[in-house]
Amino acid sequence: MEKMDFSKFGYGKVADHIEELKDIVGPENVMTAMHDRAMRAASCAPFPMQRWEDHIPDVVVLPGSTEEVSEVMKLANKYKLPVVPRGAGCGLADGAFPLNKGICLDMKRMNEILEVDDINRTVTVQPGVNMQELNKVLDKVGMYYPDDPASYGTAVIGGRIGTNGWSVGGAGSGHPANLVCSMEVVLPTGEVVWLGKGGSRKCRNSSAGYRMLELFFGHQGTLGVVTEAVLDCCPKPEVEFPSYYGFASYEEAYNALYQIGISGVKCAVNYIMFDDEKIDFLRRDDEAFIPLPESVKCVVMATFAGTEGEVLAARKKILGIMKKMKGTYLGEEQAWGDWATRHDRYHLAVHCRDGQGQVVTMSWHCEDNCMIHSELPEFTHGLHKIVKKYVDKYDNIFNDAGCFIYCGGPYRTWGDYLAEVDVFINEYAMTPELWEVWLDMKREIAELAVDLGGSISICHGACREGDVDVLIEKELVDGQFEMMKKIKKLFDPNNIMNPGKYRLDLAY
Amino acid sequence: MEILSYKKFYEDPVKKGEKVDDELSKDCYNVFACRHKFCREWCPDYVEEGNESYTSYGYHTGLLALSRGNGDLSEMKNAYIHCLECGQCELKCPNTMFGGDFYRVTTTTVDLVRKMRRDLHAQGIDYDGFEEVQKTIDDFKAHDAGPDEDLTSWAAGLDLPFEGETMMFVDYYNAFQTREVPIAAAKILKAAGVKFGILKHPHITTGELYETDEDAWVDAAKKNVEALKEAGAKTVIIVNPHEYSYFIKEYPRYVGELPFDVVFITDYVNDLIKAGTIKFVKPYNKKVTFHDPCSLNKLCGNYKAPREIIAALPGTHAEIEDPVLQWKYCCGNGVSSAFRKALPDVSYKIGVRRLKHANDVGAEVLLVACPHCKDMFAETKTKSGINIEPVHILEVVAYCMGIEV
Repeated sequence: MEKMDFSKFGYGKVADHIEELKDIVGPENVMTAMHDRAMRAASCAPFPMQRWEDHIPDVVVLPGSTEEVSEVMKLANKYKLPVVPRGAGCGLADGAFPLNKGICLDMKRMNEILEVDDINRTVTVQPGVNMQELNKVLDKVGMYYPDDPASYGTAVIGGRIGTNGWSVGGAGSGHPANLVCSMEVVLPTGEVVWLGKGGSRKCRNSSAGYRMLELFFGHQGTLGVVTEAVLDCCPKPEVEFPSYYGFASYEEAYNALYQIGISGVKCAVNYIMFDDEKIDFLRRDDEAFIPLPESVKCVVMATFAGTEGEVLAARKKILGIMKKMKGTYLGEEQAWGDWATRHDRYHLAVHCRDGQGQVVTMSWHCEDNCMIHSELPEFTHGLHKIVKKYVDKYDNIFNDAGCFIYCGGPYRTWGDYLAEVDVFINEYAMTPELWEVWLDMKREIAELAVDLGGSISICHGACREGDVDVLIEKELVDGQFEMMKKIKKLFDPNNIMNPGKYRLDLAY
Repeated sequence: MEILSYKKFYEDPVKKGEKVDDELSKDCYNVFACRHKFCREWCPDYVEEGNESYTSYGYHTGLLALSRGNGDLSEMKNAYIHCLECGQCELKCPNTMFGGDFYRVTTTTVDLVRKMRRDLHAQGIDYDGFEEVQKTIDDFKAHDAGPDEDLTSWAAGLDLPFEGETMMFVDYYNAFQTREVPIAAAKILKAAGVKFGILKHPHITTGELYETDEDAWVDAAKKNVEALKEAGAKTVIIVNPHEYSYFIKEYPRYVGELPFDVVFITDYVNDLIKAGTIKFVKPYNKKVTFHDPCSLNKLCGNYKAPREIIAALPGTHAEIEDPVLQWKYCCGNGVSSAFRKALPDVSYKIGVRRLKHANDVGAEVLLVACPHCKDMFAETKTKSGINIEPVHILEVVAYCMGIEV
């Protein structure tokens, strides 16, 4: 594929416009010191520390209002200055990772909850609001915003929209794309638009016109900046119940996952399978893991939430199916413990072991492929084969931490899955050569996913190096990428928004 | 609270134009590698300012970037002053939660911030507003150099000896600025029949000095320990939670295990109440809530005694939040008062948030266990007009005992 070349865009010098930026947002909200900029280069691991300087924005701007964002965009568009919006910086597809420096638009200062409507069950927020903090406020009126990613305590609404995030409770209560009623977006030209349905900002449904709102889910900062959103809230569930079943083989767990998936139980939050490699990893390297009987090779976890009556009935129904499918109920302690740690399965420094059993510090990364049910076994076995090939060759650098398999779609428990392989990587020891090896591993995984009929990404986005080339050449074929390029050019004539991301530089 | 990590490599200064120590770089990497950023959402400075440069993640990542050649020490002059040293980020850090349990290594942001303030000061790189802080240090140093009688003038008429198996340590802030606090403490103990003494000449303990001139502060620390030992102390009661954190967390690293037990005043008073030695004769008919001092709750894990004391107060209606949920709050002063002096506006906003929260739970009185919190809230109350009275818990105990303070 053609190499990225930004010279043809004739970008202006950000350094020449610092004073104008200060006039717009106030001098205290414009930062040019190296440490302020360098810490906003990375999103989630793995980060190419060996070439950190290539990704450091020229300036960090913290806007405080829609008007300020709009003025910054107008300035950037006039002088052709690259702009990279940044939410919590915890996205796993590197959306907030600048490819051509520019202005880092850090949106976290806009963190006000503007309105709670307990009649129409909506909350209006600025993009810097975090879900955990939001739910503390909503809890006071018995409401609940159900978006529940691993980054629940960290991520912010703007980033959840920009990356089209996925929620672990999505099979029950939907994913962010299902939970936004309407939103305000500042376009690359500085124009401010409201995207939604119907005549009010709180109307959820309409068949009128194109579905413009959805276009802004997962654009990874290439089309605009969300500055306000009206979110759909649900009633707080009366009870929640996680349950944990052990299986003697992958096949048995896989078949049980299918049967409970099509059982018709409506109060499922999610069904999650831990494959044999995941259980091996937890036994080997997770000191907090509660020991399981040796006969357990895989686990299926079923979590329900709703009224007490429906959850009790669901428990009974699922227990019956699991028994028939040779599953062993493992008790509440395991299940509650694991459900409580669902937000811990996320990027942090982890201790793994090398070939000699010595502890090595690595950092957590996960691939987030989507896979259809029929191909799931071939896919997960294939994933481990790929990762292990690299682990064997590069001891101390990579580690295979097994797979989690979650129900993929919103409001349903069948059809396809988020099949996540957790790969640990020694980011600190990264070299240019090892980075290329890492990208090769990513490409192999992405190709396997697409070849088997799935997607490269169901929750992060696919604009990281290694993903994006496979995406363009294998997944977004039959005219899809061509259409993306046309849309990008239409919205952003000067290619100032997150230039290079998703290789949309090829549009110009 | 058990102290898990003292990082020896913090002792090597970070110097302009010189390579950052490998151990420090790796340690910073552990925080950078965690993109959970739990440190961020509850950082009182971040809650107000929305700027993650000034969080544990920001501080560690900035230094890691510097160690990789992407940084300039002189540009960092105003970065580290944004830390309140409250310790919430250390407690919420996944590295502390996982690594602390299994490998006994925790994240130590407060130490790092103190170290960086010191290292920068040594190279002449001081944050804006440092002059005010230096003035406090100079004032406190002048007290230390001044006559003994000044240092104990708060105790005039209390007839306290300068020796005893039980000694009460009173810092300069309490001795000169919030005298009602040590006076209440002394009168409560006397009324309960406790035989105790005070130091004839306590030496300087202020945190502003600790993070500016470590040697001078350690020198005074050694003198304090020696003087208490010479006075015959077997138990030392501390009245200021900042000093309590210094005595139990910082002093041992410089002088080794202390030759006496260190007890915070609320723990001591609580034991006397439980033993029936302290008797209440008057009700305190108020709706109260309690603000945990950062230095006590977050830095030392000490939160039970104030709650038990408040529960024992006659007539008092209390609505008190879980100590973990209070990690998010600070009065705005900071454990070293440098924050309040250099960033008065942010400090005020943090205080307003806490007062508003006390208002939300329906309190008319905000009880505190720290003289700095009391002073900060009193100022915030006056400026903001939020009608919540900050009162020190010892003053209420004394009131219920029928003691005039």
